[in-house]
Amino acid sequence: MMELLSLSAGVVLLVLLIAFASKRWAAARDMRESALPIGEADAEPCPEVFVSRVFSRGDWEFVHSLRSEGISKLFDRERKKVALLWVRQTSVMIRKAMREHASAARQSENLQFSTEISILAQFLTLIVVCGILSVAIQMVGPLFLGGLARFAQRLSRRVAKVQESLQPAPLVKTAGRIA
Amino acid sequence: MLAQLIWWSSIALEMVLLVRGFYSRLAYRLPVFYSYIAFVILQEIARFLAFRWSNGVYKNVYWLTEFLGLAIGSLIVFEIYKVSLAAYPGTARMARNVLAFVFVIALTKGIAVATASPTGSPVGSTALEIERALRAVQAAAILALVVLFLLYSIPFGRNLRGILIGYGSFVGVRVICLAFVSQLTHNFWFYAYSASYLAALSLWLVHLWSYEPIPQAKVSVQLEGEYLRIAATTRRHLQDTRAYLRKAVRS
Repeated sequence: MMELLSLSAGVVLLVLLIAFASKRWAAARDMRESALPIGEADAEPCPEVFVSRVFSRGDWEFVHSLRSEGISKLFDRERKKVALLWVRQTSVMIRKAMREHASAARQSENLQFSTEISILAQFLTLIVVCGILSVAIQMVGPLFLGGLARFAQRLSRRVAKVQESLQPAPLVKTAGRIA
Repeated sequence: MLAQLIWWSSIALEMVLLVRGFYSRLAYRLPVFYSYIAFVILQEIARFLAFRWSNGVYKNVYWLTEFLGLAIGSLIVFEIYKVSLAAYPGTARMARNVLAFVFVIALTKGIAVATASPTGSPVGSTALEIERALRAVQAAAILALVVLFLLYSIPFGRNLRGILIGYGSFVGVRVICLAFVSQLTHNFWFYAYSASYLAALSLWLVHLWSYEPIPQAKVSVQLEGEYLRIAATTRRHLQDTRAYLRKAVRS
């Protein structure tokens, strides 16, 4: 176990040092942002009405009711592109917020370790969510994500109910008394 | 033959590095690093003499100098931390906490190993196993520092970048080699380790040929409590983004 841990530490260290050595780390970040249309990195988030249309099935149902395969395909392709661009823009916004925070926090005398860890955890969660969203959009398209999210919500509610029912009776009683 | 070539090349490169260090006055700015190089030269001479004397003496000298080198090497990590984060008290505080965490984990592991031993002390452990554990801690500490440097976009000068990359990659390769080495034999991993040190020396020579100042960050005067405001704004920003993402996908 110890050998495996130290081996992974060595490998991860080498990989990170390669990233650190090649100035590409910073260059890639800048390029990702400059690849976006001008001003997008500084742009405000898209209005919710617009975003909700990207993921809603209304337009999709209308286009498919036209029964034209060409239009349907074009619509799917374009909608996917818009959704991916939106995820990318959101991801850039998150990175920008974190970078601004880091550049302000690094010089602060009264920086708090726990606050930094919590912000880092929030940042990583959001970056992972954006990554998952990108993959999901590539695989199933943006129109089915709403359904997936609702399914996940229903599932998590069901799991919570099962957990509640599995809770031992005395604990529930105690909790009730405290409450 | 190959081992001899690596050995002589290493000594030659170390000599050049040391001479250049004094010539460019970098040795006065980074004293720990240059002390380490001087130590390695002395160590190689001591090992060579011990090898000529007797095998038993050589073994003792080898392990003694190996652990001394490891200890001085750890001071290089501390020098990198001290020099690079001098202008960044916030990141320095984070680094202190993270390094303390790494050392607490290492200490816990050490105590666990000691108590697991029937005699209550890790007497049964070989020098190689101890080095494996210590190098892993060193790798974890360098890893934590690199992550912090990347996260807080700490600007590095050419000199410090060279030391960090060279020493970090040397430790990384050593950790990987130790995972595969069961005894000190002249197999592939032995040559890989020796070659990695040669590569580190070449890298140091290129990066430390002359002095280059560390780029200074824009000085921002912060009022007391400013950090809390910045942290609260970032948190709110990230929370808003999360809500925004959730709403968009559920719409």
